[in-house]
Amino acid sequence: MSTPARRRLMRDFKRLQEDPPTGVSGAPTDNNIMIWNAVIFGPHDTPFEDGTFKLTIEFTEEYPNKPPTVRFVSHMFHPNVYADGGICLDILQNRWSPTYDVSAILTSIQSLLSDPNPNSPANSMAAQLYKENRREYEKRVKACVEQSFID
Amino acid sequence: MGDQAEGLTNNSSETNIESSGNQDELIMAQQRQIEKEISETIPLVGELEAITTLSSEYSTDEVYLSKIKDLVSKYSHIRRTRPDGNCFFRAFSYATLERLLGDKEEFIKFYKLAENSKSILVELGFQQFTVEDFYDTYMEVLKRLADIDNVEAAKKELHTIFNEQGYSDYMVVYLRLLTSAQLQKEQDFYSCFIEGNRTVADFCHQEVEPMYKDSDHIHIMAACSALNTGVRVSYMDRGTGTTVTQHDLPEGCIPTVHLLYRPTHYDILYV
Repeated sequence: MSTPARRRLMRDFKRLQEDPPTGVSGAPTDNNIMIWNAVIFGPHDTPFEDGTFKLTIEFTEEYPNKPPTVRFVSHMFHPNVYADGGICLDILQNRWSPTYDVSAILTSIQSLLSDPNPNSPANSMAAQLYKENRREYEKRVKACVEQSFID
Repeated sequence: MGDQAEGLTNNSSETNIESSGNQDELIMAQQRQIEKEISETIPLVGELEAITTLSSEYSTDEVYLSKIKDLVSKYSHIRRTRPDGNCFFRAFSYATLERLLGDKEEFIKFYKLAENSKSILVELGFQQFTVEDFYDTYMEVLKRLADIDNVEAAKKELHTIFNEQGYSDYMVVYLRLLTSAQLQKEQDFYSCFIEGNRTVADFCHQEVEPMYKDSDHIHIMAACSALNTGVRVSYMDRGTGTTVTQHDLPEGCIPTVHLLYRPTHYDILYV
């Protein structure tokens, strides 16, 4: 059955294919348009460079009025990513607007990788190292990058 | 970022909170539970009820009872809306269309206004791709209503559409976008009403465009101009006096939509 959410997701997918932002990709899973797989490539000139990080995006029938649940499947070491892969990002919570689409979500997460917000930590160890011991932080991140090749 | 989580995690920033789980999701889950309870008990837009039914909500409250008496002398019916933060936009949109269904000429004028609205939004910098999605649904609804000749049948269809979550919410989103556009178009005027150091555009992104954000006076003023519709709001609260306070927006208009405001909530009134 076509619902506004499903119809909108078809449009999001079409736009993502026709006008793909650099460094991100995403597509619905084979038999369910409400669940997507996505990949974000680690941005250049950051410790995440060369990483290919996988995510899942789960939509409800309330999309785009409510944000989807986005989660990293790849292991991440980042101040704003929880141990279970959940992401602490304002536009996925209280600053969500129905005018955002999948492209906007993925590019926002991509820029979160470049610019972590250590003041609102989801992973306090990562936040602390990011602030106080950048070398160790980068070492831990690089380990994730290498892990992402295998995942 | 993650404002909601901030308060919870500040105290424990020294310890490793990775193990304490995803606080954001816990908060959101609780919020969803509350929303679910509301949505199971109150329809998005209710049936017409006699205005006197309001008294039963305040059986022992003298201030409210005397104000309801005043309201009863002015209005015959009330139509309740779900208190989900969208009540103003949903009530205003519903009441506007309901009135237009009885006035073919005005409806056609409104249809043309709506038809031209997309290009105005795109010119203001709204992303064409996402605006189109809401615009298409909005126009589809208007068209569905226009195609029904019998006024009563059209009103019934309106009621059905506004109680289908998908359609109903899209009607709300589009009115929110139109309201945001109106605020930004006349930002010199509206900027005086915005508190803090926010620009009109910031205010729109944070308080107008997102769903479930409550409406203030400023939202109503802009929504009225956007739809070229006058509204009379009757304010009923525990303040002094025995009558409800009424405001017409824009000032001096001939109101065609009547709303009841009780702290944090709007319902539709009928003369």
